[in-house]
Amino acid sequence: MRREVPIVITFVVGIIMLLTNFIKIGAGEVGLIQQWSSELSNWVIIVAAFAVGLASVNLMKIHSNNITRQRPGWVNSLILVGSLIAFAIIGTIARLNPGTATAELNQNLFDYVMSPLGAAMFAILCFYIASASYRAFRMRSAEATVLLIAAVLVMLGRAPIGELMWNQFPGIAKWLLDIPNTAGQRAIMIGAAIGGFATSLRILLGIERGHLGGAE
Amino acid sequence: MTFLTGTYFLFATTLVMAIITVVAVNLSKSGAWTPNIRRIAGLDSIEEAVGRATEMGNPVHFTPGLGDVTAEVAPQTFAGLEVLGFVTELTAKYNTELIVTIRIPNVFPIAQEIVRQGYIAAGKPDMFKEDTVRFLSSEQFAYAAGVMGIFHRQKVAANIMMGAFWAESLLFAEAGAQVGAIQVAGTAAMAQIPFFVAACDYTLIGEELYAGGAYLSQDKVKLGSIGGQDIIKGITMALILAGSLMATAGSQMLVDLLKK
Repeated sequence: MRREVPIVITFVVGIIMLLTNFIKIGAGEVGLIQQWSSELSNWVIIVAAFAVGLASVNLMKIHSNNITRQRPGWVNSLILVGSLIAFAIIGTIARLNPGTATAELNQNLFDYVMSPLGAAMFAILCFYIASASYRAFRMRSAEATVLLIAAVLVMLGRAPIGELMWNQFPGIAKWLLDIPNTAGQRAIMIGAAIGGFATSLRILLGIERGHLGGAE
Repeated sequence: MTFLTGTYFLFATTLVMAIITVVAVNLSKSGAWTPNIRRIAGLDSIEEAVGRATEMGNPVHFTPGLGDVTAEVAPQTFAGLEVLGFVTELTAKYNTELIVTIRIPNVFPIAQEIVRQGYIAAGKPDMFKEDTVRFLSSEQFAYAAGVMGIFHRQKVAANIMMGAFWAESLLFAEAGAQVGAIQVAGTAAMAQIPFFVAACDYTLIGEELYAGGAYLSQDKVKLGSIGGQDIIKGITMALILAGSLMATAGSQMLVDLLKK
């Protein structure tokens, strides 16, 4: 039963969500299946709220242990737990009292703390792209050499200096991007789309059940 | 009951694809047809990665990506979770520490259950610790910062990333490379595949990720569905070829059919 019940629920819900895209039952503006699907989407939000609770408990437990046992980096855990509590309290008060100073503080925390921190992490990408490119473009094999030549041609074609050196570089870069690159990408996309469909079907039919835990 | 406008062909295609997959599964199950999956180096390398982590005495890191189980990237997340079951088995076999980091709260209890049950099945329930599966943050870059911190603090020896990824893919792969971890990645996110190819030791591209569960388990039923998938791919290729030829000859018949 531990396995059969989730499989049956998955199948029924999956079929409803699938049919929403194709069939309408009933004379009203919104069909019966669409109503069910909308209701199920609301259920997902409720289940997700419980999942957030579970995940937050896990986060608090791990970091509280780090603090009490003074494990290496426990100060980071202290900052995390403090931030978590502060954001939760301020966010709740702000939601209950819109337009107050607390609501403004909540918005400022997101605008001037969360956003810049996220942007800083994103900015690291520019250095990582350079280091990853350096490793990828080393001529270790025939494939890496082809990658290096293609990359140099595309870079020369896309940068203004390339056109100054030889006016054919932009055309070569465009051809590389539009023809071999697009062909390769489409092949991967079609394969991935069919693979995604087959995986979804395996889950709906209960063939793929690794997510239920334990051995097959 | 009425069909929504413009969905006849899509519905028929879905139905035909489902029938082909079910028939292929049944043929494989009965032993009448055993599809062969070509060697996938990325999946073969997982054991090597865990083995190396065991030799070094450092942990293995696994992430099932940043996709939800209710979003359109759900098949990628589920495919990643299939691989997680296999990785848990291996880490249990070699007594190696496993760290699973999670971004999506919905995925957290599923991953926790997979790892817990995996250790129980391997006869080593004590290996499951409270911090084996860690929820870090649902904020994309906060999660990325958390993962990078774990790499550096715990000196992970193997980094396995299977699922849907966005801009953080290269942050993970480069941080892993900096600590000298052997890295295996798999995703169907087109924009992230080049980053993984550039920075990881092995990369599963697109459909290879979805074949992970079948390849690793060699289960006849799953292999059958992969065989069915190949038949569908063949039909798709034939349709693309026919469409190209017909469009070249000035016929819009297939295009009109697709719009129905």
